[in-house]
Amino acid sequence: MAYLDLTNICKTFNNVVAVKDFSLNIEKGQLVSFLGPSGCGKTTTLRMIAGFELPDSGTILLDGEDISLVPPNKRGIGMVFQAYALFPNMTIRENVMFGLRMARKPKPYIEKKVDEVLDLVRLSNTSKRYPHQLSGGQQQRIALARALAIEPRVLLLDEPLSALDAEVRVALRGEIRRIQTTLGITTVYVTHDQEEALSISDRVVVMNSGLIEQIGTAQEIYRNPDTRFVATFIGTANEFHSVVTNENTMQCDNMTLTTDRVKSFSQGSRVVALVRPENVEVFDVKPSETRLNLFEGVIETLTFHGAITRLGIIASGGKHITADVNLTGRDMLAHHQMVWFSFRPEYCQVMPD
Amino acid sequence: MKQKPSVSQILIVGFFILYMIIPIVATYVFSVAVRWDRTILPEGYSLEGYTTAAKNPYFFSTLRNSLVLSLSTVLVSLIIVVPTVYWVHVRLQTAKPLLDLLMILPFGIPGVVLALALVQVYNFHPLNRSAMLLIAAEVVFTMPFMYRSVSNSINAVDIPTLTEAAQSLGAGIRNVLLEVIVPNIFPGILSGSLLVFATVFAEFTLARLIVGAGFKTFPMLLVEFTRIDGTVAAALSVISFTVAWIASLLILWAGGKGVRSTQEVVKAK
Repeated sequence: MAYLDLTNICKTFNNVVAVKDFSLNIEKGQLVSFLGPSGCGKTTTLRMIAGFELPDSGTILLDGEDISLVPPNKRGIGMVFQAYALFPNMTIRENVMFGLRMARKPKPYIEKKVDEVLDLVRLSNTSKRYPHQLSGGQQQRIALARALAIEPRVLLLDEPLSALDAEVRVALRGEIRRIQTTLGITTVYVTHDQEEALSISDRVVVMNSGLIEQIGTAQEIYRNPDTRFVATFIGTANEFHSVVTNENTMQCDNMTLTTDRVKSFSQGSRVVALVRPENVEVFDVKPSETRLNLFEGVIETLTFHGAITRLGIIASGGKHITADVNLTGRDMLAHHQMVWFSFRPEYCQVMPD
Repeated sequence: MKQKPSVSQILIVGFFILYMIIPIVATYVFSVAVRWDRTILPEGYSLEGYTTAAKNPYFFSTLRNSLVLSLSTVLVSLIIVVPTVYWVHVRLQTAKPLLDLLMILPFGIPGVVLALALVQVYNFHPLNRSAMLLIAAEVVFTMPFMYRSVSNSINAVDIPTLTEAAQSLGAGIRNVLLEVIVPNIFPGILSGSLLVFATVFAEFTLARLIVGAGFKTFPMLLVEFTRIDGTVAAALSVISFTVAWIASLLILWAGGKGVRSTQEVVKAK
């Protein structure tokens, strides 16, 4: 049995379904992200685990114990909020102490534990200050320390980095992952930022409109999306709306795409093929060797992103294609330049349209 | 850089201060004046007004009654208003417009009407014409002051999230309120208490109509003296001001810590 076990969770607010038939097993020590757009039900699910919302139906088991109806202050679950939620009337030390005091731990233990977690988030020197005297990133690290001090059975993070600027966000997410793996604490992380979810999670749960779209590792989600929503929500994908013409080809306008991934579809059925921009190769001259899925186009836009350059290409039939290329060590490409582009058949994700 | 105030700005502020302060100063001077109707300044000064007032058999009992009445009203008001406003903010946001509307009513209903209505409705033992009924009436009468002050300070803090943060750390509702919510809305509680205290201490209509001579308050004594001796009435007014101020200072002093923590909150914004 899994450590945290959610079975058929449903939640409705004023006749609007927020979460529907949500089932998920989380193993001890894993970091699982809930990823999805606003209103997809990820925060509601997290709040049900925390006990701030009660599910309409379904059960939540934590270490074999049914906690579905246990009040939040009796669950032993730590939570970090987007708005930090440090107590403004208390010093940093008092904030971190709060949970331990509520648990009536002996004083020496409290002192030791507070030092320990402040050390863990590398903010021991701030203990006498008040929350408003700290930067946003520091406040969130204190909030994390405060949640960890009670040695929670599960740690919940509700968009913890959304209020921070980009640089702090990247640094802090690394910090969160470091602490999480050090302590081996089972963690649920809610975010709408795909990069964040993909970079720190053992598993990602992609949600949309209250339903789970896909559960998998970051790589599985990115490389083999189960649904079109997942494919387009995670990263960018070129969409080829096509009709299957035989067991390994399909027709998209005047382009004939070849891939054996259409095998499972009957001839004439409408499908969409998805190709990631980094899987599109671009050539200034027509490659001499034979290549499948090779087409002609004109560069319309060129955006420099540092490591890669994103090209907007208009194929000869008028279709817009996005390609990410590394221009290091090759001839510069220019606006309005005629180019050839191709992608390997195995890079086509095909799903019903 | 700060601009120097113009003459007209100084005049406006100066006029406001004079407008507010002249009646108070005049009352103070009148309370120690021997005779003050034929000259610009009093013809002489004496403390006779005060000694006469203090010698009155009702002086200390009315002072005590008014203090008891004011403090009880503050206490009852706090017990009713703080949890209500808190729950409305955390769980029952839909009830907020209704409460906001209700809180205008005491301003719209004249004290006389409120008093007579209460006397008629609660015309049974042990409530009829009792101090308890008076306290309840004063709570209603001063409710907007307490509600507005507490509600405004609750609005300034993210109460629902702080509540959830405290709960996730294992705090029950008592600890959430006492350790997290109250300290963070303390300035509102304090200013509400001050307003309620000062209003009730000087309130005459409700006290006169609901309990009358059964529970004589300081303002009732004052009104009696306005008909007998203006100097003594002025002396009583001065004592009334002074008591209200001392009480305010005491409340502020007791709340010093809370005020400091709020300054932290305000700075943080």
